[in-house]
Parts: sequence; C-alpha cells; structure tokens
Amino acid sequence: MSIEFNKVGYIYSEKTPFEYAALHDVDLKFSEGKVTAIIGATGSGKSTLVQHLNALLLPSSGKLNILNFEIVAKQKATNLKALRSHVGLVFQFPEYQLFEETILKDLCFGPKNFGATEEEAQEKAIRALKLVGLDQSYLEKSPLDLSGGQKRRVAIAGILAMDPDVLVLDEPTAGLDPQGAIAMMSLFKELNQKFGKTVLVVTHDMEHVLNYCDEVVVMKKGEVYSHTTVHEFFKDTTYLDELHILPPSVVRFRQMLNERGFHLPNDCYDMKTLCALIAKEVKNHG
Amino acid sequence: MGNFVLGKYLPYDSVIHKMDPRAKILAMLMVLVSIFLPAGYLGYAVLALVIVSTVLLAKLSLKFVWKSMKPMLFMLAFLMVINIFAVKTGYVLIAFGSFEIYSDAVFNTLYIAVRLMLMIMVTTCLTATTKPLDLTLGIEDLLKPFKKIGVPAHEIAMMISIALRFIPTLIEETERIMKAQASRGVDLQEGKLNEKIMAVLSLIVPLFVSAFQRAEDLANAMEARGYAPGQKRTRYKQLKFCFRDFVLLAGSLLLVVVIALMAFVL
Ligand SMILES: Nc1ncnc2c1ncn2[C@@H]1O[C@H](COP(=O)(O)OP(=O)(O)OP(=O)(O)O)[C@@H](O)[C@H]1O
Ligand SMILES: [Mg+2]
Repeated sequence: MSIEFNKVGYIYSEKTPFEYAALHDVDLKFSEGKVTAIIGATGSGKSTLVQHLNALLLPSSGKLNILNFEIVAKQKATNLKALRSHVGLVFQFPEYQLFEETILKDLCFGPKNFGATEEEAQEKAIRALKLVGLDQSYLEKSPLDLSGGQKRRVAIAGILAMDPDVLVLDEPTAGLDPQGAIAMMSLFKELNQKFGKTVLVVTHDMEHVLNYCDEVVVMKKGEVYSHTTVHEFFKDTTYLDELHILPPSVVRFRQMLNERGFHLPNDCYDMKTLCALIAKEVKNHG
Repeated sequence: MGNFVLGKYLPYDSVIHKMDPRAKILAMLMVLVSIFLPAGYLGYAVLALVIVSTVLLAKLSLKFVWKSMKPMLFMLAFLMVINIFAVKTGYVLIAFGSFEIYSDAVFNTLYIAVRLMLMIMVTTCLTATTKPLDLTLGIEDLLKPFKKIGVPAHEIAMMISIALRFIPTLIEETERIMKAQASRGVDLQEGKLNEKIMAVLSLIVPLFVSAFQRAEDLANAMEARGYAPGQKRTRYKQLKFCFRDFVLLAGSLLLVVVIALMAFVL
C-alpha cells in the first residue's frame, strides 16, 4: 500500500489551441499514516495534483500507484469507484456539492453510493456531523440554508462519512473564521492520530503547516520543488525567502531575536519552549 | 466535458476570423436560406463544396467540425426510426416479411441529415471564428433598424452576450460538480435507473443553485457600476466594413441566387 507518482504529467485540453501543461514529470511518494501539506503559489498545480489521487484526472503521461490501484497514462483505468471509496477528496470550496433536502440525506449520499445500507449510512452520517462540530439538530435542516462556514463543514462531513483511508483536502480552511480553521485542522490531525488515516492537505497557511503537518511538498510551476519534513523545511529561512514564503510566527520570532544577538537553536518550533529558552539566555547573560 | 465544442471560439488567424461579424452573420443567414431551398443533389453538392472550403479557409480542422456534430447523431437516429415507420411512399427498399422499408423514408432522412450537417458546419464557421463579444456587437448593429418598431436591440444583444459569456462558466461549473460528486461515488455511466436519476439530480440541483447565485451577483454588480438598460452608451470597439466583407456578402448572395435558380428554374 502506497501512494506513488511516477513521472506524472498532466495537460489540460490536450491537442487543442487551449492546451496547457499543468504538471511535468512529477515524482512523488506520500508517506502513509502521516499528515502531508502541499504548498505552492497559486497556479502551481496543487489542485491538479490532488485530483489525480482519486482518479478524477487521469495522467497524460507517466503512472500512478495509489493503494495498489495502478493508473497508467493512455490506458483505460478500471475500478475507479473502488479507488474513490478509499481516497476521499474534498474540493476547494466544496459547498457547491450539497444538493439534498436535508443534511442527513446529503451525508448519507456518499456512503450509500459505495454500498452502505440505509442504517449504516445514517450511523456514519451522524458520526461525521459530530466530528465537524455540528450537533444533531442540524440533521433535518436543508443544507442550502446554512452559512458558508457551516456548508463547508457539512461538505467535509459528507466525505468523512465515507470513512476513506486517505483523506485529501484542497484548501479546506480557505474562508473559514480563524477558530473554525483551527478546529478543522485539529480534526484532521486527530483523524490521523486516532484512526491512522493518511491526510494530504493543500494549504497556504504556514502556521497550519507547522502545527498540524508532518511533511511538506512544495509545488512550483507544475513540478515538485521539494519534499521534506516540516521541521527540516522551516529550519533554513533563506530557503523560505527564496520561495517567497513567510515563515510561521515562531520561526520569525526566533529569527529576529537571533539577528539581534540571541543564540536560540533553530530546531525549536514551540512557543513555550522558545520562551523558556529565551528566559534562560537572558538570565545567563545577566 | 472538455470536448464539448459546439459554439466554441477558436483563436486561429485566418481571413474568416478577420472579417466583420455583421458580414459574417448576414452571410450565414443567406447560406442557411440556400440550404433550405430544395435544389436537389447537385445543389447540395455545390453547397457542401462551398461550406467545406470555408471551413478549411478558416483553418478549422474537419475533425473539430465533426465533433461539434456528434450531439446531433442521436437526433438523426431517432428521426430515421420515425421515418422508417411513418413514411410509406416510394418503392420498397428492403422487406422483412410484412415489414417494409420504403425508399422515401431513407432518402428523406438523408436529406435532413445533409441539411443538418451543413447547417451545423455553417454556424460553426461563424461561432468558431468570431469572438462572442464581436458576435453580439454584430447582432446589436444588425438589429438597430428594428429599434424603430420597438425591438430592444441593445438589451437583446446584452442578454445574448451575457448568455454566451456564461456558457463556458457553466460548463466549468458542471465539470467541477461532476468531479465533486464522483468523489462521493456518483457514477454517471453505470448503475440502475434510480441511481442514475439520483446522479443527475446531484448534478442539476447544485448547478441551478450556483447559476441563480451568479445571476443575482451579476445583476447587483452591474447595478453597482451604474448600468441602466435604456441609457445611451458609447462603444470601445467600432466595427468597420472592408473590401473582404463586401466580397463575402457578394459571394453569399451569388450562392443564394445560384441555388434558387437550381431549385425553381431548372
Ligand atoms: N480546467 C482547466 N483548463 C485549463 N487549464 C487549467 C484548468 N484548471 C487549471 N488550469 C491551469 O493549470 C494550472 C494549475 O492549476 P491548479 O488549479 O492546479 O493550481 P493551484 O496550485 O491549485 O492554484 P490555487 O492555489 O490558486 O488553487 C493553472 O495555471 C491553471 O491556469
Ligand atoms: Mg487549487
């Protein structure tokens, strides 16, 4: 079981005047049981990349191995539905996928498509709704009457209800309030730690990368620019400058203090430990 | 969905692309008229020759044109079946026991098929070589004379241009929703009938919701920028007839006349 990209290329509208190569020769192996962040400037191909994970886009060249499903460019892929039951993908702005009369029905839609009975589906739906922090009173409401943030939660719950092994999220926190965003990210981390789910999340928020992710994939102009652990990634700030990425506040804080004469170690990513170290250094100095 | 090509603009650089949209619209109308004249096989051969040359002159590939015809194939098949059962004139072509297929049934269908194909080719020539915005400017100008009898030329043109503008957006939106629902296990190809109905529903409801939302947003945005339908407006782009446009019009006129002669005199 693995998730591997092998020289994957993707071209939008191939063989037309609108042809656009969005991915070039992507070689990538996602670690299972980890939370991996996918970052990169807008238009760098993040959404294109993640849509390959449940075969919504099929590669124009190269091949993919996702949980032992082989997808090879220019060959007819089979059994996509089975793959999609194992890999749940939450789109950028998933609000628009809601359509049923009640939230309960909408949440049951996914599980039922993948063969769950009515009772099983309802059970899963109720559990998923709880996970995203909405209570049972919502079950009979219409999903179209909710606020944007609530719709987002219901849409994410719709995928969680399918109970996939791999959870892929394309900017799940864009447009959420800061509290809601933190709650969402903690939920994904929890699903990873409690149930061993592999989580892949596209995000622009470096605080989230630092606090909730284990590894980082950087995309640049349709290519994988780097793939490292989060701590490795935030160690070298000159490298971050090169990528025009503003480091998380802890890292910036430490960097500024070091520029002004402190000698704080650059593998400390926790505000509390950092404060303790500062206090110690100040004391020693005095 | 990416291969939905009917009515799509293709940005090539050809003589046809450079022509004035008004000339192209008028020429298209004339060719459409000649397609409907009953000019016999020879007439259709002439028309087909002219239209195919225009397609090639516009640097469109025949493959592209063929693709834009595909949606019609189903309709033609349907027509064929109806004709086979309904038309009982001409001579018997094939007989299966007591069930007979008459020649007129087949020839009628062929006639309609050829007409439809030619019509689609002509309209594709127009839409593939004219930017949607130019097209509406052209329509607006051509409708101007009718303003006197109360035809709201500008409003019609604005409506058409908005509709054209939103076709790709809606296609994109459909594609997005389809993908999102496919992630939830929707399979539009396979499944039982009630599953299929559910699949279509899961597509249509979100599509309508977002279309209405968009329409409302657009209306508000237009009003916020001071758009009022009845007002006098100036134009950024001025259309101008050149020599080639007159050539096109003269050519199309000649075609109508020739075909009409073939139909009614010969
Ligand atoms: N349907 C499409 N047709 C043609 N080109 C597309 C299509 N979708 C995306 N692209 C192009 O592919 C490139 C990568 O797009 P993608 O959506 O993967 O970017 P992204 O990294 O997700 O950006 P963002 O952070 O803005 O979501 C972009 O340059 C975009 O213009
Ligand atoms: Mg994206």
